[in-house]
Amino acid sequence: MTSHVARLYSLALALFVFFLTWATIGARPWTTTSRAQQDPRLTALTVREQHLRRESVLVQRLVRHRWAVYRVQLHKRQSQIATARQAQQAAASAPAPSVRVVSLPPLTITRTS
Amino acid sequence: METRRFRAMGTDIEFLVDAAEAGEALAAAEEEFHRLEAILSRFRPESELSRLNDLGSLEAGPELREVVALALEAREKTGGRFDPTVHDAVVSTGYDRSFELVAPDGEAPSTGSSCGGAVSVEGFRIELGAQVRLDFGGIGKGYAAVRAARLLCAAGPALVNAGGDVAVHGGTWPVGVETADGCLTLELSAGALATSGRDRRRWRRNGRELHHLIDPKTGTSSDSDLLRLTVVASDAVEAEVWAKALYLQGEERALREADELGLLCVLVTADGRTRLAGGLR
Repeated sequence: MTSHVARLYSLALALFVFFLTWATIGARPWTTTSRAQQDPRLTALTVREQHLRRESVLVQRLVRHRWAVYRVQLHKRQSQIATARQAQQAAASAPAPSVRVVSLPPLTITRTS
Repeated sequence: METRRFRAMGTDIEFLVDAAEAGEALAAAEEEFHRLEAILSRFRPESELSRLNDLGSLEAGPELREVVALALEAREKTGGRFDPTVHDAVVSTGYDRSFELVAPDGEAPSTGSSCGGAVSVEGFRIELGAQVRLDFGGIGKGYAAVRAARLLCAAGPALVNAGGDVAVHGGTWPVGVETADGCLTLELSAGALATSGRDRRRWRRNGRELHHLIDPKTGTSSDSDLLRLTVVASDAVEAEVWAKALYLQGEERALREADELGLLCVLVTADGRTRLAGGLR
C-alpha cells in the first residue's frame, strides 16, 4: 500500500518535472536577447532614437545660441531707443537760440564750409 | 572736456562735450554722421539720394524723406531762394564730384540749368519731376549736426561744428565768427549757427570765378555782393537755409530781411566790411 502511494507521488513529481523542463526549454530563454538584437526594425528604431537625441542636443544648442544673440540685440535696441527718447526729450525742451557778443576767445570757429 | 575730430560729408567735423566721460556718445554721434552721409551724399552712387536722382522715384527711408521735406519747406518759406533742385545747376558749373577732386581751373563751359522742378513726398515714396535731381547743399550737414548734438547731449552739454554749421545743446559756448578784419565771438547757449559764403569752395571755368552757392533764378553761381554771411537760428538746418537765402539777397536786402525776421546775422561784404543784423549788436 505504502509502496503504491509512493509510486503515484513519484510519477506525479516526474510528470511535473517533465512538463516544467519542457516549458522551460520550449521558452528558449537563451535566444531572446540575440533575436531582439538581430531584429532590423528594432535596430533601425534604436539608430533613429540615437539620431534624434543627437539632433535634439544640436537644436537645443542652436536655440540657446539664438536666444543669447537675440538678448544682446534686444539690449542694444533698447539702449538705442532709450538714447533716442533722451534725444527727443532734449530736442523738445530745446529753447530758442540764445546768443550774445562776448570778448572771450572762441572754442571753435564757424566759417564757410 | 572731451573732443573728437574727423572728416565726413566733405568737411571737418568737430565734437565738444563738457563731460569727463563721453566716449560712447562721441562714438555714436560719429557713427550717425557717417550713416547719414551714406544716405544723403550725392557723390556716392549707392546712396539713397543718388538712387533717387537716378530713378526719379524711390521708396525712401525716414532720413531721406525728412530731409526732402525740410528742403521743400525751406524752398517754400524762402520763396525759392533755397532750392534742393539745384543739382544739375551745381553740376553744370563744374562741382560735379567731391570738392577735393574738382579742378581749380578749367575750360569746361558753364551753362545755367533750370531749378524749381516738382518734388513730392507721399507716404514712403519720393517722386521727382522730369529732369529733376536733388542736392541738399548744406542742410544735409545741418541735419546731421542736429542729430549728432542730440546724441551727444545725453553725455553732457555739447557742441557740434560740421564745417561751419554749429549746433549746441546745453552749456554756453564761445563760437568765433570770421569777420572782415578778425573774429567776432558769439556766446551761444542754445540753438545753432551756420555760415554761407564764396570764400571757400570756389573754382574757375573759362576765366570766370564760380562757387557752390547757386542762385536758383539764374541756375549758376550767385553774384551777391556779400563774401559770407552767418545766421543764428533755433537749429542748424534753419540756420543753413537762412544763411544761403540771405546771402543771395545781397547786403542791403539781407540786412532788411534779417531785421524783419529777427534773424541774428553777421554779414561780411565783398569789399571788406562787417555788418550785424537782426538785433545782434
